[in-house]
Amino acid sequence: MTRQQLSATGPVPGLAVFPLAGQQGVRAAGEVGLTTRAIWEGVLEEAVREGEDVYYLELSDVTFVDVAGAGALAAAAGQLRDGRRFVVRRPPPALRRTLDLLWPGQSGIEVSTS
Amino acid sequence: MTAAVTEAFGPLDAFAHPALFYRDEQEYLDGTLPFVRDGLEAGEPVAVAVPDKNLDLIRDALGDAAGSVRLLDMREAGRNPGRIIPGVLLAFADAQPAGRRVRIIGEPVWAGRSATEYPACAQHEALINAAFRGRPATIMCPYDVARLPEHMVADAYATHPAVIQPGTRAEEASAAYAPEDVVLRYNEALPPVPEALTFAFESDSLSHARHVAVGEGARLGLVGVKLDDLALATAELTTNSVVHGGGSGVLRVWSEDGYVVCEVRDDGRLGDALAGRRPVPRDQRGGRGILLVNLIADLVRVHRGDDGTTVRCWFAR
Repeated sequence: MTRQQLSATGPVPGLAVFPLAGQQGVRAAGEVGLTTRAIWEGVLEEAVREGEDVYYLELSDVTFVDVAGAGALAAAAGQLRDGRRFVVRRPPPALRRTLDLLWPGQSGIEVSTS
Repeated sequence: MTAAVTEAFGPLDAFAHPALFYRDEQEYLDGTLPFVRDGLEAGEPVAVAVPDKNLDLIRDALGDAAGSVRLLDMREAGRNPGRIIPGVLLAFADAQPAGRRVRIIGEPVWAGRSATEYPACAQHEALINAAFRGRPATIMCPYDVARLPEHMVADAYATHPAVIQPGTRAEEASAAYAPEDVVLRYNEALPPVPEALTFAFESDSLSHARHVAVGEGARLGLVGVKLDDLALATAELTTNSVVHGGGSGVLRVWSEDGYVVCEVRDDGRLGDALAGRRPVPRDQRGGRGILLVNLIADLVRVHRGDDGTTVRCWFAR
């Protein structure tokens, strides 16, 4: 009766990041978790350093973001000054849920579903 | 474990936590209404988090004054007892001006709480004393002594430093007050469920573990937000095992009554008695995984053993 799946097969999902054409920001693909956290935090650090008013994070090809990944986004957004903001496009449901529950009303983050 | 629990409790000073024993609606209102009105008169923020029918009683009896009270249905807000301290009690108290005394009526134990839920209820009641130690707050907890089993009423004497007998308004000290004992007594073993889907994970297979849980959750009838929540809970618990729990663990998923249950077992020791029950300051990085699980799951049970930790969470189908 016991169904065992003892080991994982297949590659570990990564996180790939591409510049957005014609806009300040990046498109990410993959997932944000323990093994890709450093890549995600690197993206956010660079985004904070950019001087643009709006920085786009296109996440429609990101399938999952864990709580630490959402926390890194909230922390980065908290460093934005002078009305600057991140526009987070089409994030996975997990990211919206986590932001709503743990960082409600966080300044500097605009979630766009289109 | 014993030392960590004992350390979390201490002198109560500013904090008061009486149990209000009642047998019928009249005794319920006689006990709760003056508590609410005295608070409002003193300018104290007041919240009432009780099961829906009792909430209606209090709301109706308060009339216009109900508009000045934060009213919450505990069957929803406190469905998972582990969510009540961070999501209801501290969420309300922390939103008030610093140092302002707050009053809360909290009724987490009602007839109909399942045998699976109850240990988490008793531990929650005990841990309120640790979470609010030294804070200017009064939390009154009504207990329906006419309908609750005897052992639950006996536990209320152990989790509350004072009790109010039915039909009286006088607090008496509880000689049986021993919240540490309750936390330890209800730290019940959670033996593996034989028919569960079982998946051993480590750092490289965290993502796979999440997919396994979501696939099984969907097969067992979980949909929509609940399935997203299962993914989040699995990710947080398995990541905790890899980072804090010895680098690996075992995930199990199965169905039980109307729920899909997800369990993560590892070799780590969870020392902090209030882990996952404190709101985390906005500027603090990390430390929110178990808190999030408490906020999204319908029930969370934890077993802290000498040789490892098991966290089990339920999601209603």
